[in-house]
Amino acid sequence: MATNRRIFLSNAAAGTALLTMPAFLSGCGVDLATSVGTATPANPFLEWFGVDEALLARVMSELTANGADTAELYFQHTRTTNLRMEDSLVNRANTNIQQGVGLRVVVGDQTGYAFSEDLTLPSMLAAARTAATIAKSGKVTAPQSFNPLGAGDLYTIRVPWTEVGIDQKLPLLRQVDKLARSSDPSIKKVSVGWMDSDDRVLIATLDGQLIVDHRPMTRLSALVTASRNGASQSGSANIAARNDFDWYTTERMTEMVKLAVARTMIQFDAVRPPAGEMPVILAAGPSGILLHEAIGHGMEADFNRKGRSIYSDMMGKKVAEPFVTVVDQGTLAGNRGALNYDDEGNACGRTVMVEDGILRSYLHDTISARQYDVPVTGSGRRQSYKFEPMPRMTCTFMEDGPHTKDEIIAAVEHGIIAETYTNGQVRIGEGDYTFYVKNGWLIEKGKVTAPIRDVNIIGNGPESLRRITMVANDAYMDTGGWTCGKNGQSVPVSLGMPSVLVSKMTVGGQNVS
Amino acid sequence: MELAKAAGADDVWAVAQQSRNVQFAFRDGSLETVKDNTSRVLAIQIYAGDRYSSSQTTDLNPSRLAQFIREAVATARALEPDPFRKITPPNLFAERSKVDLDLVDPAVGELTRERRLSWCGSLDAAVRNHKQMISATSRVSDGTSWSAWASSNGFEHTRETTSIWLSASLTLRDRGDKRVSGGFGAGGQHVATLPPTDEIAQMALDFAHARLGSDKGPTTTTTMVVDARVAGQLVGRRLLAAARASQIQQGRSFWSDLLGKPAFSPVLTIVDNPLIPRGLASRHYDNEGISSKVLPIIEEGVVRNIYVDTYYGRKTKMAPTTGSSSNVTVKLWSKSLQDLVSDAGTGIYVTGWLGGNADTTTGDFSFGLQGHLIEGGKIGAPVSEMNVTGNLKDLFNKLALVGNDPYPYARTITPSLLFSDVVFSGA
Repeated sequence: MATNRRIFLSNAAAGTALLTMPAFLSGCGVDLATSVGTATPANPFLEWFGVDEALLARVMSELTANGADTAELYFQHTRTTNLRMEDSLVNRANTNIQQGVGLRVVVGDQTGYAFSEDLTLPSMLAAARTAATIAKSGKVTAPQSFNPLGAGDLYTIRVPWTEVGIDQKLPLLRQVDKLARSSDPSIKKVSVGWMDSDDRVLIATLDGQLIVDHRPMTRLSALVTASRNGASQSGSANIAARNDFDWYTTERMTEMVKLAVARTMIQFDAVRPPAGEMPVILAAGPSGILLHEAIGHGMEADFNRKGRSIYSDMMGKKVAEPFVTVVDQGTLAGNRGALNYDDEGNACGRTVMVEDGILRSYLHDTISARQYDVPVTGSGRRQSYKFEPMPRMTCTFMEDGPHTKDEIIAAVEHGIIAETYTNGQVRIGEGDYTFYVKNGWLIEKGKVTAPIRDVNIIGNGPESLRRITMVANDAYMDTGGWTCGKNGQSVPVSLGMPSVLVSKMTVGGQNVS
Repeated sequence: MELAKAAGADDVWAVAQQSRNVQFAFRDGSLETVKDNTSRVLAIQIYAGDRYSSSQTTDLNPSRLAQFIREAVATARALEPDPFRKITPPNLFAERSKVDLDLVDPAVGELTRERRLSWCGSLDAAVRNHKQMISATSRVSDGTSWSAWASSNGFEHTRETTSIWLSASLTLRDRGDKRVSGGFGAGGQHVATLPPTDEIAQMALDFAHARLGSDKGPTTTTTMVVDARVAGQLVGRRLLAAARASQIQQGRSFWSDLLGKPAFSPVLTIVDNPLIPRGLASRHYDNEGISSKVLPIIEEGVVRNIYVDTYYGRKTKMAPTTGSSSNVTVKLWSKSLQDLVSDAGTGIYVTGWLGGNADTTTGDFSFGLQGHLIEGGKIGAPVSEMNVTGNLKDLFNKLALVGNDPYPYARTITPSLLFSDVVFSGA
C-alpha cells in the first residue's frame, strides 16, 4: 500500500520470505555463471560482473551529467538458498539469483535512482539518464578510474556458500530434526528452516573509490509443536551469522534446539500477566529489541533532518541515567548486522548514540552527514541494488552497567521479566514503540514465580530511556536472525543488551476479575 | 521448459515477469526523489521423479539460462522423493472465468514526468496547510506489470496489471518534543478513479490532526470499535492467518477442528473473491494456476472453507481451494461508524495498530494500538500507548456489530467492527 511505510523488526522463522538463489552442487561439474573464489579477485568488475572500469566511468559520467554531490554505482550479485524440512522431509528447496546495478545521484537532499538488471552499456546508460533527471544543471568531474579500498575482514568465509552443495546441508537439517523430535514425547511436529546467501557487492563512487565486499549470511531455525491433553503449543528458536558452513557446530545446533523445545514446553504452564503499568525487567541478549525500537529508529538521521523524530531536538541533552550507553556498531565480526562497508561505500564503525546518558550522535548517511556537517557513520544501507540507501542500524546494543541481574530481580515488588521476543514496531514522531514478549516470568516480591506468555509491551522511547533505573553487567549479542523493515526495505540486524530494569511500562496482559 | 526437460525434469512450471515502477516524491515544497525502475525475473518449478525444487533469477542472459535451469533440476534430484509434490493437475485449471477484471489502464503507461510532478505539487501544496506542520511528503507511485505463465502439462496464460497510487504523510508538532504523524493514500489500477489531490491531502491532515494531544489510555475491559481502515489487518492478517491447510497439517492452527462448525459470531460473513473487477488482489488464477472461484470462508459464523493449496491438500486429503488469499470481503450490515460508536456508549475506538503478534496455534494475541476514547456515545479524546489482549477465536465470537463503511484501498475490505468485553491495558 502506498501509505504502509511501517518500521518493524521481526524474528519470523525462515521459510516465510523467499529470497533464494540456486545452490551450486558440489561434484556435479557445473560451471558457475559468474565465478567466485575464496579471495576477492584482482579485477572484480570483470570477474564478477563482466564489465570493465572504462565502461563504469562512462556510466558515472552519464549519471552525473546534470551535477551531483554524491553518486555511486552499486553492483550486486546475490545467490540465496532456502530449504525447509517438514515431517522429516525437505519439502521446499528454493534458490534465487539477483543481479543488477543500482545507480544513484544526489544533489543536496534530492535523489534520482534507477537500476538495471541488464549489465550492458546501453541499459546502464539509459538507467543513468533516468536517475540524472533529478538534477537540473551543474557540473562535476566524473572519475576516469577507481581506486580500490582494502577489503574488510569481519566475515568468515573459508568456503563460499556457492561451493557448498545441498548434499552437505541435508545432514544438518536431519540432525536438528531428529534432535528436536527426540527431546520430548509430546512433540508432534518439527519444521526446520535453512538459509544461506553469498552476496557480492561492488560500489564505484563519485570520488573515485572502489569498494568490494563479499558478504556471507546463514540462518537456521527450528519450529516445534507439542500436544498434551488435547492442547497444542508451538515455540521456535533461530540462529544467524555472517559465517560459513563450519559455523554450525553440534553444540550450537543443540543449544538452539534446546531453546526451541524449552520455549514450547513452558507455554503449557504459562499464563498472561496482569494488564497495566508495572516494572519490566528485560533479560540480557535479545532484549536489545528495546533499544532498536525505543531509540534506534528515532536516531536515524533522515528522520531527524526532517524534524520528524521525537529525538530531533534532543541532541546533547540528558536522556537516561549516567550508566546508560547505547551503541550502534557495524564492525562486530561475524554478527548478522555486521558490515565491512555500508551500502554507500563508507567504512562502518562504532557510533555512540547515547553516552553516559547523554544523546551524542545520530546514525548518518551521506546526505544527513553533509546537512549536519558531521562525519558519516557508515549507516547508509539498502536492501539490494533495487533500492536507494538510507540510515539504518547494524548491531545495536547497550554496554554493561553497575548492577547484577540478581540485584535487579530482587528490586522488583510486582512486575515481569521478559526473555523471548518475536517482533517490535515504532512510531518515531510520537516515540511510541512496542515489542511482543513470547516468553517471560512473573516477579513477585523480588522472586521469579510463574511463567508468562504472549503479551505485547508498549512504551514511549524517551520515557522508557529515562526509566532505565538499573543496568546489569551481563551484556551479550543475541545470535537470533533479526530483520528490520523501514520504508519498504528489509535489512538484517543484530541486537544486544545487558539485563535492565525499566521502572514502568504498559504490559498487555489480562486482569482476571 | 525445453531446457528443463532436456536437463531431466519430468514437469516444469515457468513464469516470466517484467515490471516497471516509477516513484516521484515531494517533500516540504520541493522534489525530493525520482525513481524509475524496470525489473525482470524468471521463476521455475521443477518436478523430477517425485522430487521438487523452485528457483528464480533476474539474470536473464541467454548464455547463463541453460545452466540456471540445469542447476534447478540437479537441486531437485538431490532431494528425497516427496509423493505429495506434483504439478498442478489440469482439471484445476481447465475451466477459467472469463469475467473482465479490468486490471489494465493504458493511461498509466502514458503518464508523463510533468503529470507526476503536477500531482505531487498539488498534494504538497494542499497537505502543508497546518500551523503545527513539521514536514510532509507527497508521493505518486505508478507501475505496469506483465507476466507470462506456462507449464509442461498445458497451462498457458499471460497477465497484466497497472497501478497508480497517490499518498501524503505528514508530521505535526505536538507537546514538548512529541510529534504526531498521519497519512492517507488512494489508488488502484486506473488513473480516472483517483480521488482529487485535495481530498487525499485533507484525509491525511485529518488523521494526523486527530492525534494531537493524545494521552495514555486506560486499563479497562470495555467495548472496542475498530475503524474500517484498520479492521482489515485484524481480519485478513490475524484471524485468517491460521485458516490454512498448511498450518493445520503442521498442527499449528486454532482453526483445526472448526470446518463446518459455528465457530464465530453469526454477524460475521467473510468471502474471498478473486473475481471482483478492479479488486486490488483480483486474478483469474492463483500462483498454482488454480482457476479463481468465489470462496466463502465464514457464513454467518459457520466456517465453510479454508485456504488449501494442492500440496497440503494432498497431505490433509482436503480438496484444494486456493493456497493464497485474494480480495477478502466482510459482508456489510446497515449501521454507520457513528451508529456503532453511539451503540457502544463507552469504549475505545481503534484507529491504528502498533506491533504485537498472535500465536496461530492457540489464537492468543496482544496488539499495540492508538485511537480515541468513546464517551457518551461519541468519539472523544485521542489515546495511545495501549494494548489489546485476548484470543482471536474468543474475540470474533464477541463481534457484536458490523458496519456499512467498507474501506476500499486494501486487499481485505472490511467495514468498521464492534466487539464487546475486550481487555485493554494502559495506564
